[in-house]
Amino acid sequence: MDKLTFYAMKSPEKLDRIANYLAERLSQDVRRQRVGFVMIAMEALDSLLVSCHAQSLNLFVESFLKMVQKLLECDEPDLQCLATNSFVKFANIEEDTPSYHRRYDFFVSKFSSMCHNCVADPDVRARLRTAGVRGLQGVVRKTVSDDLQVNIWEKTHMDKIVPSLLYNMQVGMSEELESPKDEDHPAVVAETVFRDLVCRASYGNINSVLKPVLLHLDDHKLWVPNDFAVKCFKIIMYSVQAQYGYIVVQMLMNHLDDHSKQLPRVKASIVNVLSETVLIAAGGSVGPSVLEVFNTLLKHLRISVDKDISATQSPDEKNFQEAIINTIGEFAKNLPDYQKIEVMMFIMGKVPPSSESQPVKNSKDVLLQTMLMKTLLKVATKYKTVLLNNAFPSTFLDPLLRMSVVSDPGIRRLIQEIIHTLLDRHDNLLKLTTVRIPEQISTLKLTVEKAQRQDIMFAKKSGPLFYWHLYKNAEMQNNKVDNFETIFCTLALMFVEMNGDEVLIDSFRFALGIQHMAKVGDLPITHKCAIHAIVAAHLNLISQLTAVPALCEHVAVVIARRKESAPFYLPAMAFNRKNTANSYPEKDVVLESCMFNPDTISDALRNSGHDTSSLVSPFMPQNVIGFDQVDLKKSASDIHSLNISFSLDSRSSSIESIRKSVGEEITFESLKKVLEMNPRAKEEEQKERQKILEKFTNGPFEDIVARSEAKSEKFANKLNEILEKIAQPPQAAEPLSKDGLTVPIHNIQFPELFIY
Amino acid sequence: MEDYKYLFKVVLIGNAGVGKTCLVRRFTQGLFPPGQGATIGVDFMISTVEIDGVKVKLQIWDTAGQERFRSITQSYYRSANALILVYDISCQPSFDCLPQWINEMDMYASTKVITYLVGNKSDRVNQREIPAHIAERFAQQQDMRFLETSAKEADNVKRLFLEIAKELTQQARDNEICSQYSSASDLGATDTSPVGNFSCCKGF
Ligand SMILES: Nc1nc2c(ncn2[C@@H]2O[C@H](COP(=O)(O)OP(=O)(O)OP(=O)(O)O)[C@@H](O)[C@H]2O)c(=O)[nH]1
Ligand SMILES: [Mg+2]
Repeated sequence: MDKLTFYAMKSPEKLDRIANYLAERLSQDVRRQRVGFVMIAMEALDSLLVSCHAQSLNLFVESFLKMVQKLLECDEPDLQCLATNSFVKFANIEEDTPSYHRRYDFFVSKFSSMCHNCVADPDVRARLRTAGVRGLQGVVRKTVSDDLQVNIWEKTHMDKIVPSLLYNMQVGMSEELESPKDEDHPAVVAETVFRDLVCRASYGNINSVLKPVLLHLDDHKLWVPNDFAVKCFKIIMYSVQAQYGYIVVQMLMNHLDDHSKQLPRVKASIVNVLSETVLIAAGGSVGPSVLEVFNTLLKHLRISVDKDISATQSPDEKNFQEAIINTIGEFAKNLPDYQKIEVMMFIMGKVPPSSESQPVKNSKDVLLQTMLMKTLLKVATKYKTVLLNNAFPSTFLDPLLRMSVVSDPGIRRLIQEIIHTLLDRHDNLLKLTTVRIPEQISTLKLTVEKAQRQDIMFAKKSGPLFYWHLYKNAEMQNNKVDNFETIFCTLALMFVEMNGDEVLIDSFRFALGIQHMAKVGDLPITHKCAIHAIVAAHLNLISQLTAVPALCEHVAVVIARRKESAPFYLPAMAFNRKNTANSYPEKDVVLESCMFNPDTISDALRNSGHDTSSLVSPFMPQNVIGFDQVDLKKSASDIHSLNISFSLDSRSSSIESIRKSVGEEITFESLKKVLEMNPRAKEEEQKERQKILEKFTNGPFEDIVARSEAKSEKFANKLNEILEKIAQPPQAAEPLSKDGLTVPIHNIQFPELFIY
Repeated sequence: MEDYKYLFKVVLIGNAGVGKTCLVRRFTQGLFPPGQGATIGVDFMISTVEIDGVKVKLQIWDTAGQERFRSITQSYYRSANALILVYDISCQPSFDCLPQWINEMDMYASTKVITYLVGNKSDRVNQREIPAHIAERFAQQQDMRFLETSAKEADNVKRLFLEIAKELTQQARDNEICSQYSSASDLGATDTSPVGNFSCCKGF
């Protein structure tokens, strides 16, 4: 043997003939089944192969490959493995002469079929499969980086190679490897080869690897459950050249598009895989197509929501929606902050426009809005606010606040939560989610910093907007406990995050404003109590944070008085979800002694050096945005808008005179006077009384909703809301008659009476 | 050195369980395997036959009928010189699926491919669900040759593959005459470019 190689090296021109001879011998031996000789001949070919110079190799390769093919065509597994080994050795040799004519089709086909072979003996089967996988790797190695060779990325090849690798990986995964470290196990080898393949793929080739992967997952129904799919895409993402990661994401999204008619379970699984993939596609590699990704995902969310209601509410469909929302969140997490804002604005832009001509929104729109707001919340939680004006550019803030006064209480709560997470820079959120009155505010362990100049500027510019919408929020007839809690939280967070003199005064002014609303407004008693409780909790918080002794004293005194004679004005009771009718006063009389006194507060602040000039003018909800832009859907809020616009009008005209006569303040009396001046308003008043009465009798339904929301997941609740909306006649004159329609309350016994 | 003049690739397709593997094994090994398991992916067998004194090698690719392997099996159509589409004469659904298979063939196979429609299990006379004349008419419409076979009784199996070998050989000869085509290299046996995908090994 040594002699042969030595001779061959000395006279390479003879190589061709040597090889020819060997090949012929081998061919005969194979036919005569003389395995021993076959082995020898192959060994000779191998050693010639490795000892030859690259230039002379070409002469001899063709005979060599022919021999390999011959052996692969045999039935004998040993010979097939032998051939594969030789082929792999050959594949590792770098050539420098072009060989375009050389084709590997047979090898790809044969190795692929070896990867799938089903010989009865498991050992032989494993050996053949491993050999097949190695052979494929050999072909790829040989051709992939070499322009002088055939293009292995062609579809014909990849469609065989990729499924063969995946098939072995997948079988390995389902078989539970006995010794997972077994280096020769076909599954292990296949995975290595697959990684190798993916990492060699360049921009134009990723496609040809991924397409068969997706097809394989489809054909073998490997999306549900998706363990294997996730594994595959993890491998792909960790192996693929980082700059191409986004192509993988893109392709998965296209795949989702192609499957938009599929079962939600399948789609949810694809989205899950997408989410895992996105997680790995670190930072910038997502590339310029960020919004495209969100667009696709939001489109699927929309398709899902647009199905008929029964389908939309199936657990599978819900899971799919959740999966999309989470994926958007994960995706957004990887983006730089400025892009997160962009994405949030983008999501905002997808909200179905609410038109005034259609006051009762269809439930699909509500559902879509809810989904989008959930998505927005997900993204918002990933955003780390530094400066408020960056977190709330007016193009984002305006529509957000506009959404904050829609008729659906669930959406209103979501919006407040979005505002919370964007406001909260000092991790105070969790400490402020429940409304309470700690004697020492320090027990809350709040982190408070003096606001920066930019934040103060922002507060000056946008503070009134926030307050106006909060006011409208507090006034909503269908508020639930959660809504009031989130309102309180926003109020407190605004104070903490925009910590400055102007905000201080505005904050007091707002608190007194809603106290006034609770005193004179047209609200159920439970709402009034909740508002009073919010005022107490908020004043307790800000007076202590401001540390003006006289102020603290006044607040403490009022709270003490309430404890004694009006516990329902305090959070412990007003926010107790287990309240009964007995918890509340029978008559809705304002206990003046239990109210916070604007004059006392004003004096205390002035004496400690604050400019209270703006405080003396009571909080008037200023229509900063303009009513026509705010959608007021429910007839309930129509009554309100009447009131509000009325007071707005009066502010500019008639009220001016009254104010002079009554002094600086508008009291209940003065308002009443104004009301009396308007004959229409009187009618309204009658109506309001009627309504309050009705609310009392119809209360329990709201109670169920409120409590189920607190307890169970939103699912049941959402359904209720939708039922509620469906049951509601399109142009209900009596906004609350719907409750009577949906629930035959007299048949249900609810001892606790808690009306929200 | 080479012991054949022409090499042709034959690919068998059709629903799972119609007897593709049995047909191939009957032809290449002369046996009817008891308890033949479903094919996974693709299997491969070789047979050399003599047509008019010329040795012709048939590379037979036996594909899995199961749906889940469809994507890999499709990738084998393209290089085929002949496609054998098999159904089971005692199984109506396997016949009903034929249009789908024909669609696939149109999509993935080379246009020059020779196609055969084969109704297998002709030994099951009592369970027959597809009358031969119906299948034959269908084959005519599709421009396919038609045969009924039994892998079990070795009926028409040899004839099927020999007919294919003969026809392909004839085609290859005609081709040779008109274009004097010779493969660029001796490795032509593995050449499967869609045009001129007849391989010959001249000089041996
Ligand atoms: N009676 C009878 N049974 C046959 C014949 N050919 C095959 N069978 C039986 O049909 C069953 C399926 O045969 P296979 O050859 O495995 O079918 P296949 O088309 O290869 O199936 P897949 O590999 O799953 O695509 C086996 O149980 C065979 O014994 C035949 O000619 N006559
Ligand atoms: Mg089979």
